[in-house]
Amino acid sequence: MSSSRGEVEDLLRELAPQVLAALVRRYGQFHLCEDASQEALLAAALQWPSGGLPENPRGWLITVASRRLMDQVRSEQSRRTREEMIAVATPQSELLGAPADAEPDRDDSLALLFGCCHPDLTSPSQIALTLRAVGGLSTAQIAAAFGVPETTMAQRISRAKQTISGTGFDFSLPAGAQRTERLRAVLHVLYLVFNEGYTATDGDVLTVPALSREAIRLTRWLRRLLPEDGEVAGLLALMLLTDARRPARTRPDGSLVPLAEQDRDQWDQAQIAEGIALITAALPRGEVGPYQLQAAIAAVHDEAKNMADTDWPQILGLYDLLEVAAPNPFTALNRAVALAMVNGPEAGLAAVAALQADKRMAQHHRLLATRAHLRELAGDTDAAAADYLAAARRATSLPERRYLAVQASRCQAARPG
Amino acid sequence: MKYLMLIYGNQEKWASIPADEWPEAIAKQGAFNRKYQATGELIGAYGLADDLRAKLVRRENGQPAVTDGPYLETKEYIASFYLLDCESEERALQIAADMPWADVDPVELWPILHEDNPDL
Repeated sequence: MSSSRGEVEDLLRELAPQVLAALVRRYGQFHLCEDASQEALLAAALQWPSGGLPENPRGWLITVASRRLMDQVRSEQSRRTREEMIAVATPQSELLGAPADAEPDRDDSLALLFGCCHPDLTSPSQIALTLRAVGGLSTAQIAAAFGVPETTMAQRISRAKQTISGTGFDFSLPAGAQRTERLRAVLHVLYLVFNEGYTATDGDVLTVPALSREAIRLTRWLRRLLPEDGEVAGLLALMLLTDARRPARTRPDGSLVPLAEQDRDQWDQAQIAEGIALITAALPRGEVGPYQLQAAIAAVHDEAKNMADTDWPQILGLYDLLEVAAPNPFTALNRAVALAMVNGPEAGLAAVAALQADKRMAQHHRLLATRAHLRELAGDTDAAAADYLAAARRATSLPERRYLAVQASRCQAARPG
Repeated sequence: MKYLMLIYGNQEKWASIPADEWPEAIAKQGAFNRKYQATGELIGAYGLADDLRAKLVRRENGQPAVTDGPYLETKEYIASFYLLDCESEERALQIAADMPWADVDPVELWPILHEDNPDL
């Protein structure tokens, strides 16, 4: 019986971290295990769609990967040394005992994710390694998703693997405060993957995976492993509630549509319902972290029929909490907009002015764009036009720059007299 | 985030470098390139021909019209360019400051806003 290519791909991506974790647990040698596990996945991707699934897909992958690992080890020049290293690293009981795939995989997969988001790695390396080792994507796919040549991405992954192998892969999950800290790093990596996909245009789904969809898939998977964690639920909710607006966020020509002008009928109601259910269940359960608060804010926006119907006092209250939980100048900017919606543009402008004390922030395009918007609301179109123009010159993406430049000329045209 | 790094020069300047200093200079630049290719941050390094080989292309009445040029008003022109992809602007600035001749001539760093067909 044959399975569709898509079904096989989904299954392989699901099994990827389990196979790698089982291998690393058994043989150590993260670097070699990762290569072997990728080769097994590739072999399966070629054979299974036409030949059908094996009876135990996970066991098949682990067996094939183990064989590849042995081949690799044998073909190395220093083969004797390496074989000894593996033999030494393998406890006697495991050589005689149950096969690697008989062990429960649950905790190992999680440890694998924590390892890929190791604090010794830079964030581009954490992202690349997570997508490959946990997400099961090929180097070529990751390279395409980030718009870099495969060799560049291969270097990044190889270096990251060396860093991890160098410290020795640690399968013990951190506990207590350290666990919270490490989990925060993991969530940040998933959040960055999502953002990369949300701001970039969608590639061909078959060859270049949509990064935001991949981030949602991995966060869903993480939530199955840590169902009690409020921030994991919060991040998943935030992603779903943000991604739900994707169809309305850009026009066919690629230009940006601000929230106020989006056609809300195009929002994905199923994703919104799922996100709201998640965040509603998570909020009352304990300490409320920044992802839950951001998800709650997104939920209030998603529930509103239009900008005027939006419950701005509630959004402002949530931003107040977020400022305490995770103080950040960009949160403060968003809060200034909410404040303007509740108390009028002058109140918002005063909040923006307080942020301008920070020199770098004063010239940031997000601050200038926010101030432009508030000045326009206050009726000061001249100053708004100047701010929009200054923001356009400092924008970090082309659609954003175009959007801001259009706002600047619109304000100029609206100038009195 | 991607960045374009540019260095400028001209024949007069390069002619002033003694021949026996070139191998070391080239080796330094090669080492820089390898260092940042290995970190997965340098996508490519490209050296340009002399300005004599540069052409100006226009279209006149639907036909291409090619002339020598450009006739530059600046004394120096682009000598080579480097494509970077790194974590942050701070990191890009750090890499630019590590360029072999950054203590002699400034290195220009331009953020890249958009690229098409990233399938390089």
